Amino acid sequence: MPGRTPLPDDDGLSAAITGLGLEVEGMTRYGDGLEAIIVGEVVGRRPHPKSDKLGLVEIHDGKRNVEVVCGASNVPDAGGRIAFAPEGTVLPGGMTIGARTIRGVESRGMICSEVELEIGSDGDGIMVLPRTWAAGDRLIDRVPGIVDTVFEVSVTPNRPDALGHVGVARDLAVRLRCSLAVAPLTAPTADPDPTLVTLEAPERCGRYFGFAFSGAKIGPSPLWMRVRLHRVGLRPINNVVDITNFISMEWGQPLHAFDRARLAEGRVVVRQASNGETLTVLDGTELTLTEDDLVIADAQRPQALAGVMGGNDAGVQDTTTNLLLETAWFSPAPVRRSARRHHMTSDSAYRFERGVDYGLGLSRAVARATQLIGEITGARLVAGHHARGQTPATPTITLRPARTQRILGMPIPDDEAQRILAGLEIEVDTADPAAWVCRPPTHRPDLSIEEDLIEELMRVHGLDDLPSRGSMPTAYGTDAPTALLDPAGEFSREETDALVDALVATGCNELVGFAFADPEALAAVDPRSTTTAIHVKNPMRSQHGVLRTHLLPGMLDAVALNIARHGRPLRLFEVGRTYGWGEAPSGDGPTAAIDRRLPREHMMAGVVLCGGLVTAGTRSMYDARSVGGVLLDVLSRLGIEADLRPATAEPAEPHLHPGVQAEIWIDDRRVGSFGTVHPDLVRRWDLPDGVAVFYGELNVAVLPKPAPAQVRRLPRFPATSRDLSLDTAATVPAWTVVAALRTAADSLTESAAPSASAGDGPAKALTEDPPRLSPGDRAGTDVEVLEDYRGQGVPDGRRALLLRLHYRAAARSVADNEVQALHDEIVTRALTALAGSDPEIRRR
Amino acid sequence: MHTSVGDFPGARCNFGVRRPRAPALRRRYGAGVSDDAIQQLQGIDAELAARLDEAVDPEKLYALQVEFLGKKGKLTAKRALMGSLEPAGKKAFGQAFNAIKAAMEGRVAGRKETLEAQARLAELSRIQDLTMLPQRGHVGSVHPITSTRRALETVFRSMGFDVLDGPHVEAEQYNFDDLNIASDHPARDMQDTFFVAPLSGGQAAADLVLRTHTSPVQVRAMLTRKPPIRIIAPGTVFRRDDDATHSPTFHQIEGLCIDEGVSMADLKATMERFVRAFFGADLAIRLRPSYFPFVEPGAEFDVVCPFCERTPGETCSVCRGSHWIELGGSGMVHPNVLRAGGIDPERYTGWAFGFGIDRMAMLLHGVSHLRLMFEGDVRFLEQFPC
Repeated sequence: MPGRTPLPDDDGLSAAITGLGLEVEGMTRYGDGLEAIIVGEVVGRRPHPKSDKLGLVEIHDGKRNVEVVCGASNVPDAGGRIAFAPEGTVLPGGMTIGARTIRGVESRGMICSEVELEIGSDGDGIMVLPRTWAAGDRLIDRVPGIVDTVFEVSVTPNRPDALGHVGVARDLAVRLRCSLAVAPLTAPTADPDPTLVTLEAPERCGRYFGFAFSGAKIGPSPLWMRVRLHRVGLRPINNVVDITNFISMEWGQPLHAFDRARLAEGRVVVRQASNGETLTVLDGTELTLTEDDLVIADAQRPQALAGVMGGNDAGVQDTTTNLLLETAWFSPAPVRRSARRHHMTSDSAYRFERGVDYGLGLSRAVARATQLIGEITGARLVAGHHARGQTPATPTITLRPARTQRILGMPIPDDEAQRILAGLEIEVDTADPAAWVCRPPTHRPDLSIEEDLIEELMRVHGLDDLPSRGSMPTAYGTDAPTALLDPAGEFSREETDALVDALVATGCNELVGFAFADPEALAAVDPRSTTTAIHVKNPMRSQHGVLRTHLLPGMLDAVALNIARHGRPLRLFEVGRTYGWGEAPSGDGPTAAIDRRLPREHMMAGVVLCGGLVTAGTRSMYDARSVGGVLLDVLSRLGIEADLRPATAEPAEPHLHPGVQAEIWIDDRRVGSFGTVHPDLVRRWDLPDGVAVFYGELNVAVLPKPAPAQVRRLPRFPATSRDLSLDTAATVPAWTVVAALRTAADSLTESAAPSASAGDGPAKALTEDPPRLSPGDRAGTDVEVLEDYRGQGVPDGRRALLLRLHYRAAARSVADNEVQALHDEIVTRALTALAGSDPEIRRR
Repeated sequence: MHTSVGDFPGARCNFGVRRPRAPALRRRYGAGVSDDAIQQLQGIDAELAARLDEAVDPEKLYALQVEFLGKKGKLTAKRALMGSLEPAGKKAFGQAFNAIKAAMEGRVAGRKETLEAQARLAELSRIQDLTMLPQRGHVGSVHPITSTRRALETVFRSMGFDVLDGPHVEAEQYNFDDLNIASDHPARDMQDTFFVAPLSGGQAAADLVLRTHTSPVQVRAMLTRKPPIRIIAPGTVFRRDDDATHSPTFHQIEGLCIDEGVSMADLKATMERFVRAFFGADLAIRLRPSYFPFVEPGAEFDVVCPFCERTPGETCSVCRGSHWIELGGSGMVHPNVLRAGGIDPERYTGWAFGFGIDRMAMLLHGVSHLRLMFEGDVRFLEQFPC
């Protein structure tokens, strides 16, 4: 295209690059203020009269001579050139150069270092410029690119071509409808020498160009190159290494230069390593290689891990004169394996494992590299060899314009599509207008199917005019509640959310903890976890070594944190999964084959109550029963009636105090447990003295499905009650006593039924509608536990249990005497039954 | 307090109604023997009148009432005088007795009224400072991640999406392979993965990972459902990342829609509806080409920053002045992914999206540090009452 199309400004460019799917994450403007810096010629030097360290330098700035004070030790002799900031210059850092008097001598300007000009990292001395540059020339005219904007682009792993400036520029050119200008390149001409490169692993190395140079002069790179490398974050090393890095950045093609004199027989062999071979790479690490590693060896031993990092022995040094320059294409996956195996990352591996160009781009990089080496190091190309192995086949992709429309939901005109494809160097044959035959270029290994090309069209065309089509049907939902994953419990996801709400309604604060746990802490809470817990192979820290089998460790962490920070009382809960190896689920769905190999994930609900830091004279506001109350309340809110039972687990729940724990049952299923957190755990979590922690949990997976509440008829006749005081062993749980009373009542009501036929009149009414144990009008339960008294008059180990039993008949008021008879009989039977566990039980 | 005076059935209805006065009686019934008796009655009335001030509270008033008007009271005792009178005098005495009794009852009732009025004034003059902070009960709170997840679920359910769940420990096949993320591909580096260690001697875990995204639920949905498929999958995910903005555990929501004729334009429309429903404002959204292995084409989706107005005149701390917020990734489901799910990519097309719930919660509530979300400081948690 003739002429140059004006480019958008930096913000416009940034937006265009981001719009292409290459997200600009940062933009830095360099070189503002450098217009004032000029080339100065050193006229003479003399010592500072009052300082040993400072010197006075007389400089010719093209028009006149000025004298400045300078502390650098590398000021060149007369005739040398330096970067000079005259009076009035504002340096990039914001510093203004004025005429200053330093130790009694006036200094009119400053001799600059790279750091002050933000064009390099060398702040040790001043910048010495070539003597061929004329005094008074502006530095920005002498060093192209010194005023520049750097765009930091986040490149997705599918775009190795965008890991070089040319790749980004190619995209941008198509987007901005201009042409890509590439510096004229000529293919290197060298005497062919097949002995230079022996390719023994053609399946892993598709291309290998080896070029031998002689007479290289190693030294610093020219300023323009050092500036560019510095700007992209690379440290200049020497001209040869800098050239390889420069090409890697410009073309996305990593290169490697060997000191040929250090290669045995001056040649390379591309081969797989043998097991146990060693190689010390540039960063000093000694690698022990395997057969799966590809190496660049000399006639004797490995000199580089192919595509990853060069070896220490044959690296380019100041004394190097003969070079062997490698430009190659290595198969991506093996490079990735090698890099991972040896825990190495490098710019080279990063590019090779994503796939560099094995076609035109490689040749262009070769041409650029040989040209630069000749120009900059003065080396002469003496021989070369191009070994060919296997490269991927270029796919042929059919692109249907109709499919483009179908996927994107917007049309892209054919001529626009063809312009985009051509600009991206994709060959297109439109002989069939409905099915174009496309061949992507070798620098785009990510393009292999039709959708990839559609994405290219979308990327370049842009999504600004993508319509928003709201015509999709909206009623696909099955309306079925979502089952909790595993095990197949009755609780749905919605009901689990309702459980969360119920916990919140009891005044608890929801916690979301990590699924990870410290194996030792977890084992202290749940000893079974030592065999059931799932270990993470690569945890970030040892405290995250396993997946939790229990909610309590994480909750205790939270308790400890809160107590340490403020010591307030706590009501915390978490509803979340625990994990463990266990029996595989049966089932034969489409995912069963995989599901059988997965561990179990259980939904649990845990509640922690903690009285907080207890100060003298105050009491904890909670006790172990409070947490049981919370759990029962929560279930009630869901319409589930549960009751408490003494702990039956054998052994007792290890995370709870062995004597202060109980269970929650719904009919015949145990759905949870609660109690005082085991004192050993309180100590393990380092909680201060007096901090009491209570924990309860519900196994959500076994909770029965909440059903709509079924209304009970309100009793029409009043209840009456009898109190009962029992002398029982303290070890007999109240629940056992209550259960015995209920069982006795049930047995009496049942035995009364058969004899109902006898008699008539009121007697009949009595037998047909006998008084029964029944919830009291205010109590809500049939047997109330009023008091558990242990004190004066009650021997150690025993207690006075005060109970209240409520009675009523369904359709009449009951008479005192009939209730008394029933009550006495119930108590007698219950005491007989309880005598098994407490022979001394008696009425008080 | 005594509510009624059982001994005086008439008292209740007479209180405060009429108060006959003794001097009028004398004029009406003339002098005689009965005059003496009547004078005694008047004397009792006068005594009550003199002592009424003793009754400073209802209890003392009751005692006074019993003393004068009770069954054995001073007035009641004088009824015996009736026996000593002539028939004519009896009548006059009887009338006088009733009149004086009524008058005395009236005095008691009047005093009672006065006491009640005083008590009412006293009660009304009481002052209690209710501005002192009362003892407050525990108010529970829902974690912002939970509430945000639920809000998202509500919006998408209303748009016809089912909510699906999936295992946190997942096979590599569903987490990577079937999502077009080949094992040797650098795309796996995009999600630094936690691997499950094999169980010694037991269950093999050779290829199990902690799911790095909710996308495996896409695969499961495709395998277990037939198109049209419209699901979301919110849940916990895991990545080896831990810094100010990354946590090794976080939460994502995934959306998937597969049907005949579904395009990027449908994705855009759905995202717009979601944004409107969730943020309650018609905010523009923007799709930006990007790369995610399981979609092709892929795009990031951004929304116009709804938070700029929180800080008018200043640079918005959420979008940093760009006026756009990156929400997440999206795109058309990759044909390889459809095929792995047993769906013919020539017949069906589909889109998918995913974004972070935690980040959304942080944006909504202005939470500055992700760490706060997971450490469980109750002073943080209680700021989210439901």
